Amino acid sequence: MAGFLSLLRRIYLSVYNWTVFVGWFQVLYLAVKTVRESGHQHVYSAVERPLQLAQTAAILEIFHSLVGLVRSPVSATLPQIASRLYLTWFILWSFPQTQTHILVTSLVISWSITEIIRYSFFGLKEALGFAPSWLLWLRYSTFLLLYPTGISSEVGLIYVALPFIKESEKYCIRMPNKWNFSFDFFYAAILVLGIYVPGSPHLYGYMLGQRKKALSKSKNE
Amino acid sequence: MKVTVITRSGREIIKGGLDLNHSATVSDLQEAIHRRCKKYYPSRQRITLPVQPGSKERPVVLNPKKKIEDYYDGKSDHLTVIFKDLGPQVSYRTLFFWEYLGPLIIYPIFYYFPVYQYFGFGGERIIHPVQTYALYYWCFHYFKRIMETFFVHRFSHATSPLSNVFRNCAYYWTFGSLIAYYVNHPLYTPVSDLQMKIGFGFGLTCQIANFYCHLILKSLRSPDGSGGYQIPHGFLFNIVTCANYTTEIYQWLGFNIATQTVAGYVFLVVAAFIMTNWALAKHRRLKKLFDGKEGRPKYPRRWVILPPFL
Repeated sequence: MAGFLSLLRRIYLSVYNWTVFVGWFQVLYLAVKTVRESGHQHVYSAVERPLQLAQTAAILEIFHSLVGLVRSPVSATLPQIASRLYLTWFILWSFPQTQTHILVTSLVISWSITEIIRYSFFGLKEALGFAPSWLLWLRYSTFLLLYPTGISSEVGLIYVALPFIKESEKYCIRMPNKWNFSFDFFYAAILVLGIYVPGSPHLYGYMLGQRKKALSKSKNE
Repeated sequence: MKVTVITRSGREIIKGGLDLNHSATVSDLQEAIHRRCKKYYPSRQRITLPVQPGSKERPVVLNPKKKIEDYYDGKSDHLTVIFKDLGPQVSYRTLFFWEYLGPLIIYPIFYYFPVYQYFGFGGERIIHPVQTYALYYWCFHYFKRIMETFFVHRFSHATSPLSNVFRNCAYYWTFGSLIAYYVNHPLYTPVSDLQMKIGFGFGLTCQIANFYCHLILKSLRSPDGSGGYQIPHGFLFNIVTCANYTTEIYQWLGFNIATQTVAGYVFLVVAAFIMTNWALAKHRRLKKLFDGKEGRPKYPRRWVILPPFL
């Protein structure tokens, strides 16, 4: 029974990782194609569907962590998924005026390259039991460039969205109400920008540590 | 006897070791370390017995009040202890005082001063009776806490790390400001008169019960500050290990029933979560200490913190 469940887990995770891999591959392909053929303003409309599908599917990864299907702790996956979903749905989708900005292109390319590497890495590990060392190297090296470009794009787009957020009053809860509660999406967005200040160096530092561990471990093997 | 003091990584903290009397207490050892290293005053030191490499057991922490020879078989003339620096320490009284002072001062600021104009809510402000009662209730609560800190509580440890001051004050002061903001807001919507009375009545009853719980806990420990753990008895402690936390949680529930804000309820949930973790640890510790063996009493079957859930 245990062997059967373990096999089931492997099949499920292989299917999951490769499916999401295909989604992100589509995003990268369409983004590059559109930028070259039509210009950066059209990138969003070209990638919208695969981007939303691939990024939202990542919610399953929280579930995978919680039930112990994968080893990574929830505390590591949650902040990353939260910021991705925030940008995908609460900035880009909610405030269309941001969709034509050039930062969308840099964002989407940074994200998709990172995810293609990550999902193929896990996809191979689950399906074949191992991943080639060059893929391991890519996984723990491309972030050196892609984290700064990705994070700058995220921060930049949130900043660009601010005036539209303030004007539209979307997602705001005003008083008076029965539960004496209020929420201002504009100030929440500013708070999110604030979190990026200590959050980004912390995440980058964490990845540097992971890189050292992973690459030295593979050298010793 | 000679005592070698090393860190967990094996580095000798006191070069050449220390020479102590055979009947020396752990406190004497800590004083001796402090004399050699001015920076490490006793409350900053954690002294443990060396652990066997590979052993998963938690190291035995030396109690300052006991004699060193209590931890060794008395035959040895040369001992090794492990030293850990706990960082700058403050007394628990200092920590609690600053945590509680924030809410006590911040809340009335939102009630009495025209602060809402800075949030874009200028103009007239009608104060509902519930808002005034909430002010009294809240301030009484934190005043009570400060009084208990200085006159009732007997702490198991004398000090707490300095970093806790910043962390705890951030917690209390932020939530205090948030709740004060919403309850005293010009656009605040009161609940029904009956609901308000039920809320405050229940809350006040629980605060009184909570105070009585603290008195019982105080009586379990001797005034010389030696800490220690006893099986609590009497009043709600017969049913629940951490009746003090139970009454505290219900007291906040009363406040929230009367004032009805999301901020207040969020605070209740977070506080309950924190206290539940403490209660589980305390319950476990008491069960382990009072296992019924070797003449020790056995810890009775009790709820941990919130019957009928836990």
